[in-house]
Amino acid sequence: MCGICGHTRDPEGAAARAMNGAMVHRGPDDEGVHSDAASGVSLGARRLSVIDVEHGHQPLANEDGTIWAALNGEIYNHPRLQQLLRERGHTLATGTDTEVLVHLYEEYGADLVHALEGMFAFAIWDTRTQTLLVARDRFGEKPLFYANSGDDLAFASELTALAAGADLGAELDPVAVHEYFVFGYVPGERSIVAGARQLPPGHLLTWKPGGKLEERRYWSPPAAAVSEAGESTADLVGELGRLLSNSVRSRLIADVPLGVFLSGGVDSTLIAALAARESSHPVKTFTVGYDVGDVSEAEAARATAREIGSEHHELVLKVDEIAARVPAVLRGLDQPQADQSLPAFQAIAGFARESVTVAVGGEGADELFGGYPRYRWLSRAEALGATVPASLAKPAARLLAAGLPAGRAGRLADVLEPRSAMERHIDWIAGERLAMRDTLYGPRLNGSDPLAGLAAGLDGLVAPDGLSVAGRFMLLDQLHWLPGDVLAKADRASMQVSLEVRTPYLNHELAEFAATVPPDLQTGGGGKSLLRLLLAELLPESSMKRPKTAFRVPAADWLRGPLSPILLDQVNNGHVCEEGWIDRAAAAKLLDRHIASEADGSAALWPILAFGLWLDRLRGRDAGL
Amino acid sequence: MPGSRRVSRPRVLLLTPDFPPSEGGIQLLLSRIVENTPEIEFRVLTLGQPESEAYDREFAAEVRRVGSAGGDRRRAALTLNLRSLTEARSFRPDVILSGHVVASLGAVALRRTLRVPLVQYVHADEFRVRNRLTATAVKQADATIAVSRYTRDMCLDAGADPARIHVIPPGIDLPPAPSGERDEQPTLLTVATLLFRYKGHDTMVRALPLIRAKVPGMRWVVVGDGPFRPALENAIRAYGVGDAVELRGRVSDEERDDWLDRANVFCMPSRVPAAGLGGEGFGIVYMEAAARGIPTIGGNVAGARDAVLDGETGLLVDPTDHLALAGAATELLGNPERARTMGAAGRAHAERHAWPLIAARVEALLREVAAAR
Repeated sequence: MCGICGHTRDPEGAAARAMNGAMVHRGPDDEGVHSDAASGVSLGARRLSVIDVEHGHQPLANEDGTIWAALNGEIYNHPRLQQLLRERGHTLATGTDTEVLVHLYEEYGADLVHALEGMFAFAIWDTRTQTLLVARDRFGEKPLFYANSGDDLAFASELTALAAGADLGAELDPVAVHEYFVFGYVPGERSIVAGARQLPPGHLLTWKPGGKLEERRYWSPPAAAVSEAGESTADLVGELGRLLSNSVRSRLIADVPLGVFLSGGVDSTLIAALAARESSHPVKTFTVGYDVGDVSEAEAARATAREIGSEHHELVLKVDEIAARVPAVLRGLDQPQADQSLPAFQAIAGFARESVTVAVGGEGADELFGGYPRYRWLSRAEALGATVPASLAKPAARLLAAGLPAGRAGRLADVLEPRSAMERHIDWIAGERLAMRDTLYGPRLNGSDPLAGLAAGLDGLVAPDGLSVAGRFMLLDQLHWLPGDVLAKADRASMQVSLEVRTPYLNHELAEFAATVPPDLQTGGGGKSLLRLLLAELLPESSMKRPKTAFRVPAADWLRGPLSPILLDQVNNGHVCEEGWIDRAAAAKLLDRHIASEADGSAALWPILAFGLWLDRLRGRDAGL
Repeated sequence: MPGSRRVSRPRVLLLTPDFPPSEGGIQLLLSRIVENTPEIEFRVLTLGQPESEAYDREFAAEVRRVGSAGGDRRRAALTLNLRSLTEARSFRPDVILSGHVVASLGAVALRRTLRVPLVQYVHADEFRVRNRLTATAVKQADATIAVSRYTRDMCLDAGADPARIHVIPPGIDLPPAPSGERDEQPTLLTVATLLFRYKGHDTMVRALPLIRAKVPGMRWVVVGDGPFRPALENAIRAYGVGDAVELRGRVSDEERDDWLDRANVFCMPSRVPAAGLGGEGFGIVYMEAAARGIPTIGGNVAGARDAVLDGETGLLVDPTDHLALAGAATELLGNPERARTMGAAGRAHAERHAWPLIAARVEALLREVAAAR
């Protein structure tokens, strides 16, 4: 884990030091800057010590000091790579994973990424060819922002850090803001600030003096292939077990204490059970629960912990902590993120950090193994659309929607409504935020890309050709939602408290395997059918009755209670309305109705809260928090 | 051998569901054994196939067919086993050779009732697909022919008597000695149906960018087709290596042989399926490649350990480790002299596996079992 940065016009390292200073939370144990005065290139790193705690100072160099590297993240197969490099005659001075980068670069150049298994963003400065290489891991677990002005390149793990070392200007990117309010995160290559971009997952960026900048994709999640190979389910579960066990095992390597996040659902239970099998000591497990609402998973997690014999730790996030905790977390983000579970994730990460430095989580399982119910509903809607003519479906949808508004009937009405699968998908993700756009958007967002434009953009990411509906949207989620929401949340929430989160499902061999399993098999049986079968082998007594769970928080209760004065302040005095992003009157009205329990406005109010708090910090407004 | 008798031309009833003219490794193996052992009087009992009459007329031994290979396999197997009982009564064999465990039920019954000794052939995949039946067959048989040390180990794990297991690898039709001329473009070749995950095409794709980084301009030629082709194509796209891969699909024998003559290195990193059984019983395709003077890279598991002599005719690597695979492929593509030496050693290895030599070993075993009756 750690944070990295660099600047190509920084001969003294002042910009790198400033950027390092803005991300101490990512790496509280050490910092370093290497400056190449002749070329003006500086690399910087903040370090959270996890591997070879003694010798891990970064940036570091190869034997003759011609190649320098800084790494944020973990290269899980670094023991194997060290062995391979020694066999080829390299001299390794440390046991760190950062050092394998410089030697692998000597062997393979930029293609070294294909030797790495892990989560990473790294930079390599090659003094011989005067080339700066920046790379980001396959799934986007570790972030990387960059700014390119004139001939220069600046980059950093967080946007706030980048702003400390490069002039990004004060302008926000209105397209990014719009997409944030639709999706709840800033997706793709944009950042919320007009002057900076994100390096997409699975991409390399190379810079040479004179400003020559090249961005190239080296890997992307494979599309699902419909195979007629007729492999038995037992064979598939066997292969899954082999790959997932390997992945868990490699993620248990650390020179510091390590734990597992446990929700009681299939994904985390499977990881915890495999970790318990691999570990000679009782595994430490961590769960968060709440004192309001009905979404706590603490009880399910407790039962699982008993089954696998873990040393279980439980945090209850109390409603009277929310007024202080949530705004602090949201203000502290480098770019706004509206996932309601982020503050709870930060709380459980902070709680775990009291006893461990690394925690293993279940991120990625839903996207790779077909966990979201949306995949099944979208498939059904497409099948219906192909058989029921629009002239019949439309009135039927209206009748159902009017007469039976809630639950499965409401869903059926939605499924009957004739429209494209992509528009249906966006509607599902954005929920009422999209419907409320006409009234909530302020003048700065008027004229934003309509639904059809957003759908066309996403269609460009995953063309429907040759893919089943489920396969197509699983792939889209791997490219869009996973890096934009799930992984950005996990990284920022855990880094705020200097905890490293590792994700065994996000292993490229596992993803490549998952893409060879027919998507409809994956999404059958309530979703994640292969994971369920593997879990049934590991914990035969209990897995069948395991409830389907997602990481949820009582956001509506919090917004009605402790967060309502903060949101009211945002609406009345915050930059979010002041600058014309959100319409003040419409937001005030929605908040009133939400507080009075006349409506659940959480899906629209939470993004306003998160964006407003972030923007106020950017503009230097102190609301007394 | 006490109580043994010399049988000048022993009669052997060969029971098998798989026999030419349909294609496949087992079909080829059994027909070549019969063709290369004129001093044994074979009768073949197998399943009916369309247009098999002409083949049977020309074949070196009498072929009788029952049921149909094209329909319900279980039903066909039952018919074959039942018919073997009457066939044995008319032919009065000295030995029954069961070419596949599917035919072992009738053979075991005959061994008990008529006291005809049984020799059972075991390839490898039977242990995965029909574990209990295979275990029973190898425990009952008077002798078991295992096609590799790997298959022998599976027989032992199943409880077979070590003294009754004989490792006899499959043979090959030896082609003319290779000319030594190869394509200038460094070429890796894989020949395998895209029917099984364990053949390791996935590991190959992962290794490819690393090999290409060390051997610029190289290509990977893939001969074979099957239901995993779309998955392979998607993986190739995911890695952006499409310009270094040629998917030839299913080709004629002539074209396959042509690729074996042109390529620099044969590479098929087969692994053992995750269930722990099956995989390459022997991997005859490694031997076919070696016969054409090309070095071979295989997985260091299962039958490939017999087919590829590590460091001599090729290299064996952990088939799940794309780094090791990339290292081996780079070594052989980047070192033509070493590749040539290994290719020559491979040819010599293949010559020791020519059908006449292999069939002679099977004949000796059949005679020994017949004599012990």
